[in-house]
Amino acid sequence: MQRTRKSAFLLLALVFVMSLLLAACGGKTGKDAGSSASADNGASGTPSSSASASAPASNAGNPDTSKEVKLKMILLGGKPADFDQVWSELNAKLKAKINATVDVEFLDWSDWNQKYPLKFAANENFDIIYTANWAYYNDQALKGGFLELTDDMLQKYAPQTWATMPKVSWEQAKVNGKLYMVPNNNVEVTNKIVLYREDLRKKYNLPEIDSLESYANYLKTVAKNEKGITAYGAKAADGWKWHELDQATLEQNNDFHVVDTRVPMAYKLDDATGKVFDIYETPEFKQLLGYYKDLADNGVWSKNVVSNKNDVWQDMKAGKVSSYAQNIGTTAINMEEARRDTPNQEFMIADITPNSKKISAISTQNGLAIHATSKNVERSLMLIDLLQNDKEIHDLTMYGIAGTHFNPQGDKQYTPGPSASNYTGFSNWGWNSPLNRQDAQYPQEANDMFDGWQSKVYHFPLETFVFDDTKVKTEVANVSNVMLRYAIPLEYGLVKDTDKGLADLIKQLKAAGIDKVQQEMQAQIDAFLANRK
Amino acid sequence: MYRSGFWGDLAKYRTLLLMLLPGVLFFVVFAYIPMAGVVMAFKQYTYEGGIFGSPWTGWSNFRFFFDSGSAWQVTRNTALYNVAFIVVNNLLQIVMAILLFEVAVKWFRKIFQTMLFLPYFISWVVVGAIAYNLLSYDYGTINVVLKALGIEPIDVYNTAAYWPALLVIVSAWKAVGYGSIMYLAAITGIDTEMYEAAEIDGANVFQRIVKITVPNLMPTVIILVLLAIGNIFRGDFGMFYNMVGNNGLLFASTDVIDTFVFRSLTGSNDIGMSSAAGFYQSVLGFVTILLANYAVRKYDKERALF
Repeated sequence: MQRTRKSAFLLLALVFVMSLLLAACGGKTGKDAGSSASADNGASGTPSSSASASAPASNAGNPDTSKEVKLKMILLGGKPADFDQVWSELNAKLKAKINATVDVEFLDWSDWNQKYPLKFAANENFDIIYTANWAYYNDQALKGGFLELTDDMLQKYAPQTWATMPKVSWEQAKVNGKLYMVPNNNVEVTNKIVLYREDLRKKYNLPEIDSLESYANYLKTVAKNEKGITAYGAKAADGWKWHELDQATLEQNNDFHVVDTRVPMAYKLDDATGKVFDIYETPEFKQLLGYYKDLADNGVWSKNVVSNKNDVWQDMKAGKVSSYAQNIGTTAINMEEARRDTPNQEFMIADITPNSKKISAISTQNGLAIHATSKNVERSLMLIDLLQNDKEIHDLTMYGIAGTHFNPQGDKQYTPGPSASNYTGFSNWGWNSPLNRQDAQYPQEANDMFDGWQSKVYHFPLETFVFDDTKVKTEVANVSNVMLRYAIPLEYGLVKDTDKGLADLIKQLKAAGIDKVQQEMQAQIDAFLANRK
Repeated sequence: MYRSGFWGDLAKYRTLLLMLLPGVLFFVVFAYIPMAGVVMAFKQYTYEGGIFGSPWTGWSNFRFFFDSGSAWQVTRNTALYNVAFIVVNNLLQIVMAILLFEVAVKWFRKIFQTMLFLPYFISWVVVGAIAYNLLSYDYGTINVVLKALGIEPIDVYNTAAYWPALLVIVSAWKAVGYGSIMYLAAITGIDTEMYEAAEIDGANVFQRIVKITVPNLMPTVIILVLLAIGNIFRGDFGMFYNMVGNNGLLFASTDVIDTFVFRSLTGSNDIGMSSAAGFYQSVLGFVTILLANYAVRKYDKERALF
């Protein structure tokens, strides 16, 4: 007995020592991987420096494409059914043009935000990745996940893009003065509008919807009279830390601008000094809570809205929900879809803050970046150049195969082909450009609204400011958590005593360290503004 | 040839040791080697540095969790829920196993066992959706029925007080089948001669259960409970996240460490801070299992794990 016990101990000790040894080996390889990664960084830095050396001498010299390469690209979304068919055609063309083929991996919408950072953390082998200001662009740029793109590289390997892209778009895409993405080349306004049921508005003889009040009137009427229809639909359960109407009712209505959606800090659009304040402590917010509470008490949205996991647009199409808030592009596509599929319901869009300043999307709304450890930087840039600016390749990758997925109408429009639905739903917006076509069925109302906005688009110095949370990560995480826990139920009118709820929220935010976030943010904004002068 | 000591034992038990090998390898590869990764909890993770080359930051990764003001609440929730799950689930499992064992009709036993086992295979995502469709205020089946009967509907998703009971029930519904089969196997292993002897001595069914089945089950119960205690500070993320989601109104009584950390850090993706939270759970779990084992040893040396 005694002896077996001793042996068992020895064995255990042996196992432990072995595992430690193995761990140490693992550690070594980890270190090696790290240093080789940085070596790669250096190596991938060379083409840029050599490019800068040779660029002044011969800008016209064609890049060397004698060796065939296989590029790997990561896009967001579900893989469309006909994707392989379309992209094998693309690969045939690419082979001829730049002697390269491309392989695409998809990160599905359901879990892309967990997988995306892991691709970098694990240093997986890929060359090009979709990125955007809402898809980790700043985060990964600061962490060193993307390759820095220099002017020389772009001039040499992406000449068409360099020529077409407005200078301001490049400027907007810079993080701490350095460029890490090829942004899309597209004018977009980010203002939120509402999509509602025009047939219901007419049925109850309600006035046009053009303000918060008329919208509330519509919602309350529907809630009161239409049993089985939820007046306003939101998907509050997916982790967004604001009421889905906030962008219209709180920001646009008051000309506020929220700096980073993870914290409730905002500045006034026309404040040249960019003074940030806690948006929850403003009288405007307090007033808005009354507006929301009134809607909630009238049964405008489900009492269980914070647990809703359904897709709001699908519920609207099914006739279960009568309105929601989104940007103009999405709602226009919704209208188009509804006119085709459910003609018995008449949908319409309305701007509930018509007099507000319109904000154009900065270029980083969509784009493509190159992985810091990519070994095919030159060919990757050439591919991006073709995707964005080669009419043939742009058409193919954006709309699929002519005659199958789309029918071209002139140079600017198209109609969906017989299997259009088999080539859609992924992030090919990364290479939006002036070559984009518009669906011939695209609702005229949306175009009219958009044209009407053009003159009201407001540019302001802090447009491209991006908050770097490195120093206050702890506080940002905790503040976000408080917003989800206290602000969301309060805004959806689920807290009985609004005043007490608001006091609670502010108290919790203080405890979570919002003051520190505010100081840090103000310091960064001041520095940003000082730099621009 | 005379051999003794370690090498002698090694040769003597080579077959048994060989059988042990896959298990040992599994734990070495998946538990011991990755353990070196705990250093991440003390580092500012960067891509260039990787796991071992990143700069050290001391305890700063732990700050987020303890400064949040929720550390105590979520730790308490996690532990209390797990205690409730362990007690309720094991009790129900044992009762079910004994009932199944006592049921004489074989086909009935088989069918019942299968039905009981079925929920175990339903994923939490689906369970969450089913629960929402049953309980939601406006269109949930239960509330529709209540309204039809003229009774005031129950607002489950806005009332934190219902949730502890609800979660315990759902957890039991899912776990009873699986556990009762383990206990049933243990009961089947009890020497039948004891039952025959008891019957001859005139013991009735209840006496047989209380005097033979239950005492003979105790070693199994203790081992299973001890193993479960090691995980007492790990919330079942799939369960809590899919049942509760991001509903802030329920957090006071439903937030566990895992959901709290997930929610706070999905925005920032800071690997160091997440590792710190995981490390905290591991340390607490380790201390608890040492204490539990110590208590069992005090009570009965033979039945302790180590």
